Amino acid sequence: MAVMEAVAAAKSDAPIAKNYLTAIKEAISEEMTANPEMIAMGEDIGLLGGAFGVTDGLLNQFGRERVIDMPISEGVIVGSAVGMALNGKTVMAEMQFIDFISCGFDQIVNMMATYHYRTAGEVNLPVVVRGPAGAYGGGALYHSQMNEAWFCNSPGLRVVCPSTPYDAKGLLKACLRDGNPTIFFELKELYRRSDIAEVLPDEDYTVPLGKAVVRREGTDITLVSYGQNVYHCLLAATELEKVGVHAEVIDIRSLVPLDEETIFTSLAKTNRIIVVNEAPMTCGFAGEIISRVTTKAFDLLDAPPLRITRLDTPVPWVKPLELYVLPSVEKIVQAALATVKY
Amino acid sequence: MEANSDTPREPQSDQRPLDSRPSDLLSREECLEMFRQLYLARYFDVRLIKEKKRGRLRGTLYSSHNQEAIMVGSLYGLKPTDWISPIHRDMPAFFLKDLRGNWDAEERSGMSIEEVCAQVWGRVGSPGRARDNWSHIGSKSKRIIHSTSMLAGTIPVAAGVVYADRSRGGDAVCLTYNGEGSTAQGIFHEAINFATVHKLPVITIVENNQWAYGTPVSQGSPVTDIADRAKGFGIPGYIADGQDVFDVYDKVTTAVNRARAGEGPSIVECKTFRAYGHGDHDDDRANKYRDPEEIMLGRLRDPIAICRQSLVSKGFLSAADAELFIAEGKSATDATNDDFPPEVVDFLNKGIEFAVNSPLPEAAEGGMWVFKESN
Repeated sequence: MAVMEAVAAAKSDAPIAKNYLTAIKEAISEEMTANPEMIAMGEDIGLLGGAFGVTDGLLNQFGRERVIDMPISEGVIVGSAVGMALNGKTVMAEMQFIDFISCGFDQIVNMMATYHYRTAGEVNLPVVVRGPAGAYGGGALYHSQMNEAWFCNSPGLRVVCPSTPYDAKGLLKACLRDGNPTIFFELKELYRRSDIAEVLPDEDYTVPLGKAVVRREGTDITLVSYGQNVYHCLLAATELEKVGVHAEVIDIRSLVPLDEETIFTSLAKTNRIIVVNEAPMTCGFAGEIISRVTTKAFDLLDAPPLRITRLDTPVPWVKPLELYVLPSVEKIVQAALATVKY
Repeated sequence: MEANSDTPREPQSDQRPLDSRPSDLLSREECLEMFRQLYLARYFDVRLIKEKKRGRLRGTLYSSHNQEAIMVGSLYGLKPTDWISPIHRDMPAFFLKDLRGNWDAEERSGMSIEEVCAQVWGRVGSPGRARDNWSHIGSKSKRIIHSTSMLAGTIPVAAGVVYADRSRGGDAVCLTYNGEGSTAQGIFHEAINFATVHKLPVITIVENNQWAYGTPVSQGSPVTDIADRAKGFGIPGYIADGQDVFDVYDKVTTAVNRARAGEGPSIVECKTFRAYGHGDHDDDRANKYRDPEEIMLGRLRDPIAICRQSLVSKGFLSAADAELFIAEGKSATDATNDDFPPEVVDFLNKGIEFAVNSPLPEAAEGGMWVFKESN
């Protein structure tokens, strides 16, 4: 009772800032409460509460029928999620690390992504495959990937990547209600970052898919990014401000569908653009954005558009190697200065 | 006494003797219906081969000739609420599901012959509006899972479907069809593993026709009897004579009853032989990479002839009636309409007439239904 009172008191006195992980946890729990037909599944998500604790408490709340500790088989996690969704369920399927998603690749790109298309719309699959992604944490080759481009290149999948707790919760809810299969990229380095924790609305809310947001306004150059690289862009913008360059930072939030309008509107103002992502460069999503800019908004450009991405390498383990291949504030600042001077 | 590791092992075949033969309970009418369904499946194949040779069809034809007893025998005992996931060689399964003598029934838990023919002809009357080819159709409402070309990939989907059904108190089972070739896929084992952990009513039917495209089973599987795979999961592995419709019925029904009672999955291996090539594009080559004697022996035990013999010995078919329609042993080129009961020919004619009168889809449909419109 004392605990409950303390919680209530804390709630009424000062709203609690919530981190990115808590936001995701709340989205899953609230959706499962609202939708009795929703199932959560993944490796170690029940008893353990998930490798990162995202699903901590779900098993007690909803029981073993709805919170399934799956055998180590990403193919079966996705395939059985498809079957459940085919038969009326909404499914959250966790990849313990998004790197492991390759083991379920066939089920995602051939079975799940195409189902609506193959059936001329008879079948909708409300399945969100979500998991921790991204580098900068020393996770090495198989715990650091950002493999979003594979899925952007597989028609039929929503591809989403939030950077803030508010967006993580609102976008995950939107995806679970959208009715299309989604690959939802979470940045594990953001899970517990206290400096980005924020107070979330008490009431139910969603963040619309395919709507980018301007994180910082500026007039000289547009920095476009998503996920944790948004913070590298914001820090770069602060550095650039010191030398009189006003950078605008756009967080696209969802890759498929992509909000081109917000990018073009910014470009109309700045006429210069750099796209930053931590995936490798070749055939990466930064290239896709720049391709759309050059084919649809060529006249707005005063300088060649640039990509700051990971080198075309795997993600190495030890710190100096890892940072060498990844985008950094320094690399963004240098590229922005060159672009502005062009 | 502990077994000495040098002691020769017992033969590994897991062909369990059944306590009872469910087919003994089938009435004369039911047995005759299954016999007619064998003709139906055979005629569908024969006719499509003829149509393809006349240049009226596109796409690859994966003949089910000689494997009809597996479809008829496994589907006959299902309830309308049950699910199936057929593969490329099981085209007749789409209309055989829930047929049970009601060939013209408007509402049944299987596809109409019109829908199946419209799919084969690539017309909008197909359940998938001809967006993917031949056997890659299905229907949520008719409880048929849509397969892809990545075989064994429907087994985890089947597991999910029945998991959802069970959560709502249903007793549906799902039959998944697979060739022996796809038992080499990881997902085959991963999915049965999951289904077994949760005692899900998934029955994996393995149509062991000895050839995975151009590779003999000896090069694709270390076990001669695929049913032996069941031992690793601690589930029953039944071996059925895939040429004998009643033996298939017995083994599948036993597995289904077990699954429906909550005892979990089984593997039912049906021994059979692929009569032609992998697809019709492979017919000529398949006569070269396979031994002529093997082909001759493999086609010797025609499921129609074996069923006829059973019906005569059961006293369900008179000697005179048994001689009316001799379709067995005849290739698509040799067989004529007179070799099949007239209602079988009429049934398919109706489907083909619908198909050829159904229009092609509008070209712009190629860009539609990538996503469901957002809620």
